[in-house]
Amino acid sequence: MSSLPMIPELLRQLMRKPATNLFPAKYLPPSVTEFLHSVASGKAHLTPPVKTPPKFRGKIEYQKDGCIGCGLCVKVCPSHAIELLPETKRIRIWVDQCIFCSQCTDMCPKGGLRMTDEFLLATEDRYEENLIVE
Amino acid sequence: MIGSWELALIVLSAVIVTVYGIVVGLFLLGIDRKLAAHMQARVGPPIRQPFIDLRKLLIKENVVPDNAIAWIFNLAPVVALASSIVILLYLPIGSIYPPLGAYGDLILVMYLLTIPALCMVAGGFASGSPYASIGAQREMVTMIAYEFPLAIVVVAVAWRLAAAGIQDPFTLGSIAAHPIWSVAGPLGIVGGLLLLLVMAAVTPAELSRIPFDTQEAETELAGGLLVEYSGKNLAMFSLSQGVKTLVMAAIVVAIFIPWNISSLVLLPEGVALVADLLFFLGKVILVMFFSVSLVRVAMARFQINQVVSVFWIYLGLIGLVGLLLLMADAALPAAGVII
Amino acid sequence: MSEGEGKKAPYTLPIGPTHPALKEPVMFTFQMEGETIKDVDFAPGQTHRGIEWMGMRRNPVQIVHLTDRICGICGVVHTLSFCLAVEQIAEIEVPERADYIRVIVHELERVQSHLLWAGVAAHELGFDSLLHLTWRVREQAMDVIENITGNRVNYGIVQVGGVRRDITPEQHPLIEECLTTYEGLLSSLLDLFLDDRSIHMRCRDRGILTYDDAVHLCTVGPTSRASGVNMDLRQDYPYAAYGDLDVRAILPDQYAGETRGDVYDRIVVRLLEVGQSCGIIRQCLSEMPAGEITAEPKIAKLLAVCKKAHGEAIGRVEAPRGECLHYVRMDGKESPTSWKVKASSYSNLMSWIPMLRGEQIADIPIIVASIDPCLSCTDRVAVIRGGRRNILTKEELHRLSVEATRRLQA
Repeated sequence: MSSLPMIPELLRQLMRKPATNLFPAKYLPPSVTEFLHSVASGKAHLTPPVKTPPKFRGKIEYQKDGCIGCGLCVKVCPSHAIELLPETKRIRIWVDQCIFCSQCTDMCPKGGLRMTDEFLLATEDRYEENLIVE
Repeated sequence: MIGSWELALIVLSAVIVTVYGIVVGLFLLGIDRKLAAHMQARVGPPIRQPFIDLRKLLIKENVVPDNAIAWIFNLAPVVALASSIVILLYLPIGSIYPPLGAYGDLILVMYLLTIPALCMVAGGFASGSPYASIGAQREMVTMIAYEFPLAIVVVAVAWRLAAAGIQDPFTLGSIAAHPIWSVAGPLGIVGGLLLLLVMAAVTPAELSRIPFDTQEAETELAGGLLVEYSGKNLAMFSLSQGVKTLVMAAIVVAIFIPWNISSLVLLPEGVALVADLLFFLGKVILVMFFSVSLVRVAMARFQINQVVSVFWIYLGLIGLVGLLLLMADAALPAAGVII
Repeated sequence: MSEGEGKKAPYTLPIGPTHPALKEPVMFTFQMEGETIKDVDFAPGQTHRGIEWMGMRRNPVQIVHLTDRICGICGVVHTLSFCLAVEQIAEIEVPERADYIRVIVHELERVQSHLLWAGVAAHELGFDSLLHLTWRVREQAMDVIENITGNRVNYGIVQVGGVRRDITPEQHPLIEECLTTYEGLLSSLLDLFLDDRSIHMRCRDRGILTYDDAVHLCTVGPTSRASGVNMDLRQDYPYAAYGDLDVRAILPDQYAGETRGDVYDRIVVRLLEVGQSCGIIRQCLSEMPAGEITAEPKIAKLLAVCKKAHGEAIGRVEAPRGECLHYVRMDGKESPTSWKVKASSYSNLMSWIPMLRGEQIADIPIIVASIDPCLSCTDRVAVIRGGRRNILTKEELHRLSVEATRRLQA
């Protein structure tokens, strides 16, 4: 088998467990929404996604209370995802536009912005409640 | 002449074999995908995936390109499927005697095997796409390439059986009844093994699988022959692919591993039939694993000229050596030489 | 028999803009004779995204995140080369530790990029098991990168003046473990790719780029090194911490004893570079000095420095695909007046033509992939007026460039 070195490797792999992480289930459910409903009601089991590392950059979190409305985050946001609301002097973040660079969290003088490890944000509606942080 | 009772029996068994062929064929494709996936450290689709795909294809729109020759384009998949099922009627499945076994032999099967391939060629040329035309040309070349070693295998086995004084050496019934291993001596067994190797290489070419899938070559021709096919037509081709997989494995089984459970162990008649069918399925999966699944994940695709040289030079030579060994095996004891 | 074709009439075979052989859009037109390629032409420019236009309306701190997204694989080279340019203009001195961290991430990226390429190459040959194998082992590099930077693809670790995150002592064993895995894997990867008979049949003496062609067409990176051109920016013009490290260009004769400039040699160079990168990272980890990781931790201050900066500079980086170059000009405004990106593939694309001529259809995917083209990085200009695309000649381009320079200097 020296001319086809892949064969021993393949046969070895046949006996081993596949490397795939079975997220969300072993086979694609016919309807993902229905599957999620049955997971919620405890009828199905959802295999969790691969764990995120400690300083993962996920969906942004905003502490409104400490905010001073300085607008520095708006200035550095590369994708113009942050909007300064003039009437309240607070910000609104459009997560659908956010590129998760974490530049605003570095910039914030009050430390009021933080990246969480939430990343399952795919949806059909970009103006969904979950995707607007204020 | 055939009596009406006999005719009805043939029609009935033909229907049964058709259904069996389609179901088992798709099931084989599913197993093939599962095995390949596991070898690549993936989970892979469920074994029923080919059935799901088939259902999806059947409800999809059937697009015929504007510059295609519509009647050939639509006829090709039907004929391909029908002809691959017809081959199945000549092959022994388990201990069931083939419904048309009395009306044709291995030579006929060899001719019938070219029909699905020719249909794909016709369909490809009729598609009016440059990719499909190149695919069709390549399919013709591949066909010419593997027919030669395939013919050597068939002739060699039948010749050895004839030399042993067996009646009708070309009929699958007598080939299956007299396994080459029990007829031939030690030299012949070595020759038989070489022929088995050749047959194992012809199988992926016949089924257009890697490394001999130049006619479909996803990364080169985007599906080649089948690039314009969709909907019901594609479903028909994928069905015929499944049936062809069963056919090729069944031919290898019939020539080289024809034993049945019932001939080895004494079983009551009803149980024996089922046991033989399951045993047959096991043998088919084994053949498919070694000559299709394992080969297709362990190699890169050949170029078309490499396909030709592999079959004509390397496998042709191996086949001829096998043939010579079988001939020597038959001739030497007759000449009084003791090995 | 060598061709095995009945039909010999010349015909045209279009491949692209989207085709399974191409991972990114580009339009090829082949003049074929049977299975043999007589002539070939290609038209890039199918994925122009206007990144430079966007950049010229943003400040350097924002552009850094835009450069991260120029390429889907090289997340750090574009950023690094942009930062190198801006740092030269604004006269920012990057701390030594930051330079080492930049090199570590840069080399990890080379490891994952070359493994990704190896998988793609195997797939183009119809060898999907190798694709699955290389991409599976690539995951470890991705995990380490994710751990260091916080994201798998868009690292966002390099910032003007330094880096944004330090490599902590807790992360060292993780990186070491990854390096040990790859160093152990390398010999078996070399076996699987280079000793495999079917890969050998498909890659040896296919898509040859001679030394002279490689030099005349100004090819860069592994494409030119596989043709025997001894050049590597890390060796010739060291940047970041490469001056302290001993980096020598990898040439195919180090493995096979000869240089043929074919697809096989390109596999050799890339796989050997994976091993070389592991060595560099190991060296960086042990020699990394303590200290600051950025020249200016306060972003507001950094922005003020950049706003005052005047001048122009070029940042050059040896990307996994070859030399990547960013030209930046700043005129005391918030955003640069001019920003030009030359991705490495731009220099390599023309080498397709001598490589493809005379080969077969079956060789198209692997030869096209063999230079590791990154077309979304490359595509910079698309001239579309009144719904029609125009192709500019050399003279027109020259005239437009002169006009643009005058405009900039005015």
